[in-house]
Amino acid sequence: MKRSLMNRCLAITLVVLPLLFASGSVALAQRNPDKELPLKQMLSLPGRVVSEAKTARPTGELKLTGYRVEELQLPRNLTVQLHGQQLTVDKAWRVTVNGGPFSVRAMPAVIWIDDQIVGNGIENETLSQITAITFDSSLIREGGVVSLSYGEDKEARVKISQRLQLKREGGNQ
Amino acid sequence: MTTRTTSRILAFFISLLFFSTLAIDTAFAQVPDPGTPGPLAVTREEYNFGDTAFQPSNFPGPVELRASIHYPTALAGPYPVIILLHGRHATCFKGGSQLLQWPCTTNGSQPIPSFQGYDYVSEVLASHGYVVVSVSANGVNAVDNFVFDLGALARAELIQKHLDILNGFNTTGGSPFGTKFVGKFDLTRVGTMGHSRGGEGVVRHYVLNNDLGAPYGIKAVFPLAPVDFNRFVVNNAALNVLLPYCDGDVSDLQGVHFYDDARYNVPGDTSPKHYELVMGANHNFYNTIWSPSSPFPGAVNDWLAFVPGGHSDSQCGSGKGNQRLTEAQQRGTGLAYMSAFFRAYVGGESQFIPILTGDAPPPPSAQTNNLFVSYHAPANLRFDVNRLLNDTNLTVNTAGGAVTQTDLTPYELCGGDAPQPQRCLPDQSNARQPHTTPSARSPLRGLSQLKTGWNSITGNYRNNVPAALGNVSRFQAIQFRVSVNFADARNLTDLAQDFRVVLTDASGSSASVRVSDVSSALYFPPGEVGPVPKVVLNTVRVPLSAFGGVNLNAVRSVQLTFNERLQGGVLITDVAFASAP
Repeated sequence: MKRSLMNRCLAITLVVLPLLFASGSVALAQRNPDKELPLKQMLSLPGRVVSEAKTARPTGELKLTGYRVEELQLPRNLTVQLHGQQLTVDKAWRVTVNGGPFSVRAMPAVIWIDDQIVGNGIENETLSQITAITFDSSLIREGGVVSLSYGEDKEARVKISQRLQLKREGGNQ
Repeated sequence: MTTRTTSRILAFFISLLFFSTLAIDTAFAQVPDPGTPGPLAVTREEYNFGDTAFQPSNFPGPVELRASIHYPTALAGPYPVIILLHGRHATCFKGGSQLLQWPCTTNGSQPIPSFQGYDYVSEVLASHGYVVVSVSANGVNAVDNFVFDLGALARAELIQKHLDILNGFNTTGGSPFGTKFVGKFDLTRVGTMGHSRGGEGVVRHYVLNNDLGAPYGIKAVFPLAPVDFNRFVVNNAALNVLLPYCDGDVSDLQGVHFYDDARYNVPGDTSPKHYELVMGANHNFYNTIWSPSSPFPGAVNDWLAFVPGGHSDSQCGSGKGNQRLTEAQQRGTGLAYMSAFFRAYVGGESQFIPILTGDAPPPPSAQTNNLFVSYHAPANLRFDVNRLLNDTNLTVNTAGGAVTQTDLTPYELCGGDAPQPQRCLPDQSNARQPHTTPSARSPLRGLSQLKTGWNSITGNYRNNVPAALGNVSRFQAIQFRVSVNFADARNLTDLAQDFRVVLTDASGSSASVRVSDVSSALYFPPGEVGPVPKVVLNTVRVPLSAFGGVNLNAVRSVQLTFNERLQGGVLITDVAFASAP
């Protein structure tokens, strides 16, 4: 179970993230930048809130206070690899965890839904939010549990007790 | 047994311990302490070309060009150069709040000077005739999570840029120093130390500098409590990794991969590799700006702040009897081993090498003896008996000799390439088995290890040495790496293991040495909470001079004889004859 999860995450990491991130690796130097969408841009795209929760009091050592899941309509289609398959997508999902202030650490923050990794988190400037992007719609499921860890250590996750309650409709944010 | 008899036995063992300690102390009394201040007066200055003066390639933000420079005030030279690079931390602060932005644009905010956190090392090294430059990297920290390699290349390019700046100071001079540094830097002798993500940064820089045709002579690389997301490797330069047992941030000690990956990566690699496992040390105390005594926001004891329930851990926590080092003690270990390493391998002061091989105890400046040194000898100073890399090595060793075992169970390899199981302790978290912890940006597997154990004192692991290779008299020691497997119930909690190393020669003469007489590496890994206990394989080096009566010109086998405890379980690798550089 653990191994298949890791393999899956690795596949997503190796293929999806290079499409998002402006990086200097040799492999990335061969990309067509016109077909990519920088992660910074995806963090600021308007989104439709599909689920949101606030906790009654800060949760765990990370003092989590809630989350927000938004559906993003991409300005252009992207080709990504999910579960070993090349797919063209026009949507992404932005998962933001609130709380903190979060420490700036060597180990990257990782956002989970249930036992699946959504992605590595990006802190905002005031360290009150951590955000990750996914193209995998299957992660956004009714009743899912959002949690946060540093590194991919399942045992160290802090979970938000309010489960995902998906809205069928929502306004632009 | 009467009380009197017990007292006599106790007295005997205390005497034995005293004289053993005396013998070791006497043998290494000539090893000076590399961490004591030297004779030279030191000047500290900074240069700052602006918060946005540098743009790493394909990186989403600008980076500052700011650094401190410690140098001998008399400025004779040319001096070897040491570059220090801090890791990921908040970049700015306003009042008591930390911020992650660059430059510090929030009204009234100021930079957190993480690069000043190693001045305690810079001052000592400069006083011995080194130029030490500590680089600020807040601009990298602010946006490194946006890029795939998490900032490794940006950090490498930043170091290279500072070396270019130093090269300018050294050749033509330049603002703000004029010509005073012209001819004062020896950029053919450079050492680099990086902390945390900076640790991976200095490794990535070593590769980058080589890719650029090695314009600077990087002789020694020291990742301190490093991440290793990308699995770059240092070969043909001295390497030293420092691993804090109570690291609450990089709690899986993934930086041990730097050592493990480098060992057999390049045939004929003539560089030494080392690591120190520092018990009771955390991640942040090596940087004074990140430590609780600092006035800056974001300075925390990472074990207590980041590990859920960490306060209660008997080794790393805050309760009575904990084994934590103070800030000063912990920095003592950093100072001692950084100084020994750079002075040995950049400055050529070879008298410090016994500290790095574990042949000499930690020097007084380390302020603790509770650390474990591992050492991988250069290819020309090493004879690999058994690298334990694949299943073949369970029956035929690297030297071509037969391998046999008696009454060992299990007797299998784990942690290395498939088909080995990825982890050696399947029911334990990755943080508790650093040698096999996965890397965020690499599919590479971890360290191949022999997982074994015994249920009676007849347990034995034997590596035959082919007759043609049996002359080992040119080596100093037989060595291997080992950890007690805390997840094996045959080991009793908190009780150290023990066994014997046996050499046998062509005439059948044998001699054995008990591991506990030469090393304390067979400790039971301490702690109970989160990332601890953890298995870290530490080197046991047994001097060949201890095997009296064995003809070292004709050794025929190396055995580990498990007859000192009724049962137990261990992880083993890297069985070799070896000498110090």
